[in-house]
Amino acid sequence: MVFSSLTFIYFFLPVVMITYMVASKKLKNLILLVAGLIFYAWGEPVYIWVMLVSSFVDFYAGIYIGRSKKQSSKRVALIISMVVDLGFLFVFKYTGFIVGVINSCFKTNIEPPDLPLPIGISFYTFQSMSYTIDVYLGKVKVQKNFLNYLTYVSLFPQLVAGPIVRYEDVANEIEDRKVNVDNFGEGIGYFIKGLSKKVLLANNIGLLWTQIKAMDYSEISVLTAWLGILAFTFQIYFDFSGYSDMAIGLGKMFGFNFPINFDHPYQSKSISEFWRRWHITLGSWFRIYLYIPLGGNRNGKFKTYRNLAIVWLLTGLWHGASFNFIVWGAFYGILIIIERLGFGDILKKLPLPVSTAYTFLMVVIGWVFFDTDNMSKAFSYLKAMFGGGKLFDSFAVYQLSSYLVIFIMCIFASTDLWRKFTARLSEIKNMKNAYYYVTSAVQIVLLLLCTCYIVDGSYNPFLYFRF
Amino acid sequence: MKKTQKRITALIFLLIVILLPFITLVSKKENFSELENRVLSKKPEFSLENWFDKSFMNDFESYVSDHFSGREKWITKKIDIELMTGKKEINGVYITDDRLIEKIPEPDNDCIKRSVDTINNFAKSVKTPVYVLIAPTSAGIYSESLGKHAPQLDQKEIISGIYSGFNTNVLPINVYEALYARKDEYIYYRTDHHWTSLGAYNAYNVAIQKMGFIAVAYSEYNIEHANDEFLGTYHSKTLYDKLLPDIIDIYSYTGGNSVVSCEVNNGMETQQYNSIYFRDFLEKKDKYSTYLGSNQPAVTIRTNLESDKKLLVFKDSYANSFIPFLTQHYKEITVLDMRYIANYKDYADPEEYSQILFLYNSTTFCSDDNIKKIMY
Repeated sequence: MVFSSLTFIYFFLPVVMITYMVASKKLKNLILLVAGLIFYAWGEPVYIWVMLVSSFVDFYAGIYIGRSKKQSSKRVALIISMVVDLGFLFVFKYTGFIVGVINSCFKTNIEPPDLPLPIGISFYTFQSMSYTIDVYLGKVKVQKNFLNYLTYVSLFPQLVAGPIVRYEDVANEIEDRKVNVDNFGEGIGYFIKGLSKKVLLANNIGLLWTQIKAMDYSEISVLTAWLGILAFTFQIYFDFSGYSDMAIGLGKMFGFNFPINFDHPYQSKSISEFWRRWHITLGSWFRIYLYIPLGGNRNGKFKTYRNLAIVWLLTGLWHGASFNFIVWGAFYGILIIIERLGFGDILKKLPLPVSTAYTFLMVVIGWVFFDTDNMSKAFSYLKAMFGGGKLFDSFAVYQLSSYLVIFIMCIFASTDLWRKFTARLSEIKNMKNAYYYVTSAVQIVLLLLCTCYIVDGSYNPFLYFRF
Repeated sequence: MKKTQKRITALIFLLIVILLPFITLVSKKENFSELENRVLSKKPEFSLENWFDKSFMNDFESYVSDHFSGREKWITKKIDIELMTGKKEINGVYITDDRLIEKIPEPDNDCIKRSVDTINNFAKSVKTPVYVLIAPTSAGIYSESLGKHAPQLDQKEIISGIYSGFNTNVLPINVYEALYARKDEYIYYRTDHHWTSLGAYNAYNVAIQKMGFIAVAYSEYNIEHANDEFLGTYHSKTLYDKLLPDIIDIYSYTGGNSVVSCEVNNGMETQQYNSIYFRDFLEKKDKYSTYLGSNQPAVTIRTNLESDKKLLVFKDSYANSFIPFLTQHYKEITVLDMRYIANYKDYADPEEYSQILFLYNSTTFCSDDNIKKIMY
């Protein structure tokens, strides 16, 4: 079930909210657990077993690590849990890709196994692993109740697309949390903001990218190519950060405080800063569980760069099993190493528009690798962007005029101008009350607008268009 | 105050997400959507089998959205917003101040070639003269009213491309110029993909002379505005409601009605009617079907004219409003729609006719692959 569907907003959510509100405190976790399982099984009725098995293994590994005295047996338990978690991830996500690589390297003809990619496996695997590793490191207390643990893993707000909530982040709230009208209302605000990002911005601007992506890149004009990739740049940001906002909002509605995941990344002044603002929870997961254990930057320059290279290759691969993602990750690895080598200091001295423009340009180029079908298409797309053909054509002008308003809205919503503006406004005494009423009104109007768009998504006129 | 704001949001949010599904749940469920011309989803029955193959979830989601309270109003609002943000097309239909215009689909050149070859071979194999009329759609006549940069193919060029493929024993009838010259008159519907009776009359005027008759003058018809609330297929695609609904006109010849019988064969059985107009459709959504009824495999029209001329027509629905004008010239007209016929010889022998006419609009001719069945 996706958040931006009628079934979720107007069926699943109200039913779960009402049951949750009337239930006694003891039952609240159980209700969330059942809701989480139904939510997950709705999209993944068969391979839900992968999530259940991996939670089960991690839970008992945690218990075992807590009980045993010897460091070596603790380590065995940790390794078993990691092998199971990463094993599932590897088998479901990467075997097809690896078989393909082997086939093309050795001219073999091995049939790739027909395995689906269970929804959210990359997210919940990382979440669940954070628990066993932290138990092993003594950073969190052992969870003794399996239902509580499974409630954490299957928490429907963040289960399938993040933020990657580490067990540590919600350890206390799983046991004991409070919901009052205020954080409920705040949660609704977040949810509607995220829903609007997804439905009104990402889906709309995405239509433009879908069209351009399907064209022949050797024939498109420079303007078309830029419109296309900028459309994707905004689509992925609003899609992903919208989902995170909805997750954070739903979390608050049920008393959880999840970490933020995006902080206006397109305003960054360097690539390193971009990754401190983009998918923050993934970056910190890799830092905490990979980069620092590898030694981080404490063992000399060479090892620092080696560690960065490993982290970025794996970050690329985490996004998907294909060469495009590896190249995309490597691209960022190289940019970050260059900044470490001294370019970062130069960027700091450059005027703000220049460093922001540099960062944004690199990110946009990165998206070409990220979303084209293969490497040769990526390069022919880059060629179209940087002067392969005509500067502009009728198609580009038409699309620009059709999407100009949405582009402007996207640009505006990518910056923190609105936040700064409202912060100012709420400081002015006489404006304060007006501001609050306007906020409520805007939120409700946005919810209704999103509903228009979601209902329209199901509009399916079946016409005898055979005249 | 900040707290009050959150409470207000919370309260209204709860009201909306509880009330809307509640109204949806208790309201009466329609089975069929006239607007979308499709059967709406039924409530799925739960079973383990349809749970595990996910059909339960998919059916449930379409059930919820098909019956969502105020569905059509939500969609219309959304389209208003889209147009406000600068969009100029909805579902492949351009919106202009005067009318809705299709975005001409890329012609399927293989399909066109198969149809043209078929008609060439067919004309060679029969002694009866074969005429072809490819009608422009409103998109071909009104493309200038779109913005300069809006992607649109040149339909005039497409039609002449098709005509250039015919051998000399196929007689092309070109109506483009005649229609273009009258583009300021009501020759195409604003909200539907067909031409109006007036458009059909202008095409008839050209065609009938080419076929050897003198056309009936426009002044010799009484015109009845049978209905003025017609919202056609383009309207269904866009739900754009800022245009005047269309008018269904019925032309009757002042010299008297010649039609004796209209025999409709729906592929299973034949029914006799005494008129070529099916006025029941004036009360329904698809008002264009007033002409000759909805598309049927075969229709035979007999008149009381003192003539031995018989016409065989292969056609799409553009012919439906065109045929009435032919009833002043032929003793018998057989109308075949190859989309619903496997073997046309079950219905007609071409040698028994004095003339044969292929009448299609450009968009159908560029995509419909049923004409080739004639030469199987």
